[in-house]
Amino acid sequence: MTNSIEEFEQADCIFIIGSNTSVAHPLIATRIYRAKKNGAKIIVADPRKVHISEIADIYVRQNMGTDVALLNGIMNVILSNGWHDQAFIDERTEEFEQFKKVVEAYPPEKAAEVCGVSAEDIRLIAECYGKAEKASIVYCMGITQHTTGVDNVKSLANLAMLTGSLGKESSGVNPLRGQNNVQGACDMGGLPNVLTAYQPVTSPAASEKFAKAWGVEKLSQKVGLTIPGMLEGLENDTVKALFVLGENPVVSDPDVHHVKKALEKAELLVVQDIFFTATAELADVVLPGVSFAEKDGTFSNTERRVSRVRRAVEPIGESRQDWQIIQDISNRFGYPMNYASPEDIFNEMTLLTPSYAGINYPRLEGDGIQWPCPTAEHPGTRFLHKDKIARGKGLFHAVGFLPPAEIIDQQYPFWLSTGRVFAHYHTGTMTRNSPTLDAEIAEGFLELNVDDAEKINVSNGEWVTISSRRGSIDVKAMLTKRIAQGSVFMPFHFIESCANILTNPAHDPICKIPELKVCAVNVVKRPLPA
Amino acid sequence: MDYRTVLTTCTYCGCGCNFFLEVLDGKAIGTIPCKTSPVNEGKLCIKGWNVHEFIHNEKRLKRPLLRKNGRLEEVSWDEALDYTAARLKEIKEKSGPDSIGFLTSAKVTNEENYILQKFARAGVNTNNVDHCARL
Amino acid sequence: MIDSIKDKVKELLDTGEIKGFLGLVRKNGHIGPHLFQKGDELVDLSLGDNKIAGDSRYPLNKYLMNIAKAYPEETFGVLIRGCDDRGLQALYTWNQLNPKKVVAVGITCPQELADACECLKPFPEDITAGECAKAGEQKSVAAVDALVLSERFSYWMDEFVKCIKCYGCSNVCPMCFCNECSLKCDDLVKSGELPPEIPVFHHTRAMHMVGRCVDCGLCEEACPSGIPLRTLYKKVGSIMEDKFDFKTGMIRGQRSPLNKIDSAEGKK
Repeated sequence: MTNSIEEFEQADCIFIIGSNTSVAHPLIATRIYRAKKNGAKIIVADPRKVHISEIADIYVRQNMGTDVALLNGIMNVILSNGWHDQAFIDERTEEFEQFKKVVEAYPPEKAAEVCGVSAEDIRLIAECYGKAEKASIVYCMGITQHTTGVDNVKSLANLAMLTGSLGKESSGVNPLRGQNNVQGACDMGGLPNVLTAYQPVTSPAASEKFAKAWGVEKLSQKVGLTIPGMLEGLENDTVKALFVLGENPVVSDPDVHHVKKALEKAELLVVQDIFFTATAELADVVLPGVSFAEKDGTFSNTERRVSRVRRAVEPIGESRQDWQIIQDISNRFGYPMNYASPEDIFNEMTLLTPSYAGINYPRLEGDGIQWPCPTAEHPGTRFLHKDKIARGKGLFHAVGFLPPAEIIDQQYPFWLSTGRVFAHYHTGTMTRNSPTLDAEIAEGFLELNVDDAEKINVSNGEWVTISSRRGSIDVKAMLTKRIAQGSVFMPFHFIESCANILTNPAHDPICKIPELKVCAVNVVKRPLPA
Repeated sequence: MDYRTVLTTCTYCGCGCNFFLEVLDGKAIGTIPCKTSPVNEGKLCIKGWNVHEFIHNEKRLKRPLLRKNGRLEEVSWDEALDYTAARLKEIKEKSGPDSIGFLTSAKVTNEENYILQKFARAGVNTNNVDHCARL
Repeated sequence: MIDSIKDKVKELLDTGEIKGFLGLVRKNGHIGPHLFQKGDELVDLSLGDNKIAGDSRYPLNKYLMNIAKAYPEETFGVLIRGCDDRGLQALYTWNQLNPKKVVAVGITCPQELADACECLKPFPEDITAGECAKAGEQKSVAAVDALVLSERFSYWMDEFVKCIKCYGCSNVCPMCFCNECSLKCDDLVKSGELPPEIPVFHHTRAMHMVGRCVDCGLCEEACPSGIPLRTLYKKVGSIMEDKFDFKTGMIRGQRSPLNKIDSAEGKK
């Protein structure tokens, strides 16, 4: 997030797109509710009428995978009415003219044809967002999990830059991080192309710095494989071993039949986790780590706030601290490590990580610290891009609309999208083992529009078979008007009705994110067993 | 008797709410949202309020498992760690460092992410490091 | 005020009158509940005032029930304000705590807090430290009551629709101690729906607050959706006062008119 969570309260306009905020990020919804009370206008754009749309001043339902068309339409209206911030554009951005040319090709009527939102509503959103003094964008996986995920994000950045809604209090572009420490995992170099704080593995200077600190001659400067790349490598035998720490790709990744096949080919699959997950079932070695309640350390949240995790109970059974397990393997492997505590690791990390350089455990008492925090005196950073955009000048991208990788047809006539429900989290490893949450929602379901249900003769709670080019599953139908006719929705938490058997692994060419938010499926009443 | 409240950070979504785990005689029995937290100000969602429930769940993994004759069997830590390190070494020597991949995790701490990517990069010498940021 | 509380608690611990004192502590740069078992821990005692008076109150009685259940033979001290005192009295009548095993250490609330809470009695019956403030003026219920019916209806509907069903109102409530909760009864409130069915979920809870709510306001402070729950339950409380002349926990030993089935008074 470029802003802090609390800043939402003072925004004049909040544009929520592709985020089921009150379900997936409830404590951010809290701030949006308060903003509404303070007089902010709330815009929600989502193919599903998500819960937070209940408080929206404007709610629109775009067709799945048509965000670029919708956003270009909005920007077209902003430009033609002169609601853009020319001074901001001139001083702080570049490549505006090229961008403008593309957006000019999206008058609202034309955008409406593609995205299914009326030209009138597109104009309303443009006016509401374009005229607001402090405008914030909130987005989540509904924007990113597309083959055009990068295009979608660039379009949102375009929108913010166009109106100068960036680098100020309560104005910015705010992706909500789905997992408690996805920010931290990225910051810590849990990515194939960067070391900590996004220092490129290809940079000779960074590579040399880390090699020296880590006591090795040199590090590989070759960009590594992403998850899809590793799975592909397993299939074509170039990857032989996979070490999985606290992840469950057999439930979370698209086209799980394919994922399973790839993992089964591994010569060595090591899974370090706290429950016997579907991925652990395939492992050669399963190492019991500990939960957050049994460990010390830090997490970095969606607003870049680093805060402490503290050990509350002793490890369960013979389970061991995750860092100790890794250290032990490293020592046995022949690369010595000798950390005494998580704090010890943290202190080494900050020496190599400019954005965390000023942080230490004592400073994290109290409110924690938001990076960047370059020195021990630095108070941390509430919002990014103040006065100047981080890369120097904000770059406008000319982005045209591209359809999703898979389009509905006669054989697969429904659009499928996946997501979360309020009582569960990700692959359900933890939430489904919590009695209260399990009692709230115990099984998966398919949201089906009431009119579609009538057409295929399905009543509420009845079993349906849903199939895509990749597989098929049976699940109970939940009839609703929340979802548009011709579209269906499924939560992905439930392995017995695993939505990711159906989803499309086609991914964005740049960031490799899979298109989990849209694919083509068929839905029929489940045939009676013979 | 041992009753304590331990301030920590939620393990679910990216909000990063702070709460006290209520611990009685070594068992987490409750979750108390922290009033002075700048993130959640004494509030939580349904997942946060019940986060203590899975900690002592019977199904938690308690001992290392190793596949022998096609079946996962409980083994000692020494055996599991020796096996893992030896196999990784073997595979690296035979097929090169880039034949090994690492999934770090959006669920574990910064420290654990750091140490695993360090092992991958400095120990094994590969940049095949990724996690489910995209999922 | 805090020094006289510390002295009092130290004395209770030193003499062995109590096994521990459940109060608030300043630790890790925050304020939270803590069971003090040694006198020297008391340097970090807090009364729950962080930025403003009473902004870091916790339902200590609720945690006391957890501890007392595990250690029924032991006596514990607990920090109380006026609302907590009402809570304790009500919990005694509902047999959730044993008054012989509880030593309450009472503090008063300053006028600003009494006003913000619209508290009818911002001090406990027995005061260890502090000056009594005047009862706060009752405004919030009157403001909603002043709306015409259709506006009042949409006011509550607009509030309830924001509910994210965290159950925080019930989880934080010192008076929610039922083993089986009506809110989790599928026939009343269907599970798994967001928002929970309107207005059944909140009406069910409001019904169960009749004769129970001690007006501590912690529910509203815990509500991530900013629903004015305290106003709702104050209204419920005012009906109890009008119809039955009953104010929960205000008079020692007085049982709720709805909890008298087994008593002579109830049989009448």
